[in-house]
Amino acid sequence: MTRLGCLMLICLCACSTGTPRLEVFAASSLTDVFEDLAPSTHFEFAGSDDLAAQIEHGATPDVYAAATTTYPDELHDEGLLDDPVAFATNELVVLVPRSNPAGISSLKDLARPGVRVVMGAPGVPAGDYARSALEELRAKDILDNVVSEEDDVKGVVAKVALGEADAGFAYRTDAAAASDDVTVITLPQRARPRIVYEIGVVTGTDDRDGATQFVDLVTGARGRAALQDVGFGVP
Amino acid sequence: MRRGTALVFGALTCVALVFVALPLVALVVKTSPGALIRSLGDPAARNAALVSLKTSVIAHALILLVGTPAAYVVATRKFPGRAVAVAVMELPLVLPPAVAGIALLATFGRLGLLGHVLTVLNVDISFTQTAVVLAVAFVAFPFYVRQAVAAFESVDARFADAARTLGASPWRTFRRIALPLARPGLAAGSALAFARGLGEFGATIMFAGSFPGRTQTLPLAIYAQLDRNLDVAIAIGVVLIAISIVALIGVRLSTTWSSNSRSLVRSAT
Repeated sequence: MTRLGCLMLICLCACSTGTPRLEVFAASSLTDVFEDLAPSTHFEFAGSDDLAAQIEHGATPDVYAAATTTYPDELHDEGLLDDPVAFATNELVVLVPRSNPAGISSLKDLARPGVRVVMGAPGVPAGDYARSALEELRAKDILDNVVSEEDDVKGVVAKVALGEADAGFAYRTDAAAASDDVTVITLPQRARPRIVYEIGVVTGTDDRDGATQFVDLVTGARGRAALQDVGFGVP
Repeated sequence: MRRGTALVFGALTCVALVFVALPLVALVVKTSPGALIRSLGDPAARNAALVSLKTSVIAHALILLVGTPAAYVVATRKFPGRAVAVAVMELPLVLPPAVAGIALLATFGRLGLLGHVLTVLNVDISFTQTAVVLAVAFVAFPFYVRQAVAAFESVDARFADAARTLGASPWRTFRRIALPLARPGLAAGSALAFARGLGEFGATIMFAGSFPGRTQTLPLAIYAQLDRNLDVAIAIGVVLIAISIVALIGVRLSTTWSSNSRSLVRSAT
């Protein structure tokens, strides 16, 4: 019995050691830049939509940073997020594996029968942007070539980088991060959706100072420089 | 047991039960029968159910076809490397699903080990239902084979010996002696493997992607619907729980039969 007691005590100790770290929910596309900016912060990187859904269902990180204005604004309206601010812009591009098995050299090639295109699922910002761009270009036939709707932009990049997909819609910054494995096809100006990233302090945070500091870090000079380094635009 | 010990053990048993049961109950009470049926009529759920059913049945057929003879050989023959063979077949059991996914990509993917061969043969596996079938078969296989080996091992070797001395061929011995006597164990393994295959997620999403009506299985649909339509996600979850319970009951029933029939055999000898 005493042995069992000791075991439970050890468990309790293990669970409570260490000061609570700041917890940030952030869009997958921010992974590299955020981890460099604040290495000791606890990050959860996923699709902006999944993270927003988690916050709506009671998750309380300290900060939420999304690859869109939609979800931060929604959370703000629901009283879950303090005033979100725009801190970065990104550009939708087409990624092609370096080996380029399908011989893609322009957007038009994506419409060829048999080309395997991947994009984010509906509701995932990278997927919604891709769909609206294709609508703008009246290139519905590209949609017919979609073989997988990924749950976040990481899934898109991985499948292109592995050469499993012939092309995928992702962000300019993803292309920079995976430049060894992928090349980029730029979309025509008129089809480029306006992609603005917003960040905000989660209203239910128990470390408001830490959260505000993190937001200031990201929107300040150091944050802006780091963002631009990996291909983001800053407002 | 002393009174104090009994009390603590009882309390911890309750904690364990509540810990496992509560999330399942929560999922069920979060929906009403009406909403459940409505959500299951959603095209996303219907398509995913069809994909899951088709791929699981094919994968399961493959598992039974290949796994049964493999388990029989391993259980009844002594050969060098037997322990290694067993370990290899059981490996996916403890492998993280993501590892299974990346391993399948490294094998059957375009740039994978067999990629060139498959390209020459003009076979494209990734992003197809074939990929789903392979992922499901890969992760579910050991659940069947483990049980099947144990089932064949528990068959009294004297029956097979007797059959052979009476002139039965190896095939006849397998089909008329080993298979019927091992059947309850095989059924239990089969139910476990089917349930595990139906729940496959990690390897599928990495290897087959997720496309509604083609490669999006029920677990992938839960993930895809989580932020779009929570009701549909929950409804699919409830259905998968129901299937798991049926599978578990199947396992229980067949193992009970198994011990009954074995005691019958024993009392007959």
